[in-house]
Amino acid sequence: MILAKIALGAVGTLAVATVYTFREGTIRVDVDEHRQGGSHVHFWVPAAAVPAALHFVPDDKLQEAADRAREALPIAEVVAEELEKYPNVEFVSVDSQEEHVKISVRDGKVYVDVRDHEDDVHVAVPVSTIRDVVESVANRKQTQ
Amino acid sequence: MIDRIRNYVKTFSITTAAVLFLTPFAANAQTNSASNDRWLHVRVVSSDNKGETVRVNVPLELAEKVLPAINKDRLHNGKITIDRHDMEDVDFRALFDALKTTKDGEFVTVQSHDNDVQVAKQNGYMLVHVTEKRWHESKESKEEKMTEKSRVEVKVPMKVVEALFSAGKDELDVLAALRALSAHGDTELVSVKDGGDTVRVWLDSKNSAD
Repeated sequence: MILAKIALGAVGTLAVATVYTFREGTIRVDVDEHRQGGSHVHFWVPAAAVPAALHFVPDDKLQEAADRAREALPIAEVVAEELEKYPNVEFVSVDSQEEHVKISVRDGKVYVDVRDHEDDVHVAVPVSTIRDVVESVANRKQTQ
Repeated sequence: MIDRIRNYVKTFSITTAAVLFLTPFAANAQTNSASNDRWLHVRVVSSDNKGETVRVNVPLELAEKVLPAINKDRLHNGKITIDRHDMEDVDFRALFDALKTTKDGEFVTVQSHDNDVQVAKQNGYMLVHVTEKRWHESKESKEEKMTEKSRVEVKVPMKVVEALFSAGKDELDVLAALRALSAHGDTELVSVKDGGDTVRVWLDSKNSAD
């Protein structure tokens, strides 16, 4: 009986931890190079892990990033905030015989899909993660 | 006592789980409020061997928010500084002021060997039509025959042009123009036909180009 309660508690904790970890969805990156010996990179990470991981980035590195993004940061802040209003939109699409490019937002995630004869690249990032990262970098910049 | 604590824990667990599960849906429901926005669409269809088609869909509200954040080169706070030298010393503000107060009609018609240009005001719109000509020698009559090389049609609401010129002397207020545009109904702003290539810029309330 005690074992069952412990197991139930463990499973419940695991379920809550899983839900918490994946509450913001996942970041997905797929890269396939079509040339011989080309690399194939496929990974996904829980989006909630990214803002948490930013706390472990050394101040000087984050400051460096903030400095490099000085001009783009205010734009990124506004875009990240505004994108949340548009959950399902195709912003840009380029279609030709040689390449296909699509930048869209679906279900609160920004998708960048590029397909050409050399490689396939697909990136999916939740809008909320972009906003969190931009805010973190901007806040760190302000506190310096 | 233990039962009460158990009930509290149970209630807290259910509430927490519900909040965690439903937060993304609540966020989505909130975001759907932007569905009545005005959208600016650009479509470029190229007829070259690649057959490229470019579609861009931008919500005007997004453009209005982003534009003031861009401060680079001549663009500051949603305004573009214009160099009089670039405009070949033509005072477009004075031209527009004159145009604004006059009645509907055709104001400029330039017909040359290579181009026809027409500028007119009609029903609250400023219309600009430019036709580029191509001349061929006819084999039968050996006379030159004209065909249309390209055609550009621009139709801009006068209120948008007025807003564009509402800033300082050497400035164009793009932000004010966007705001004026967002208050406007569905309209086709630019249409270009150049051989098999076409460009269309239009405004409506749909979030997709097709």
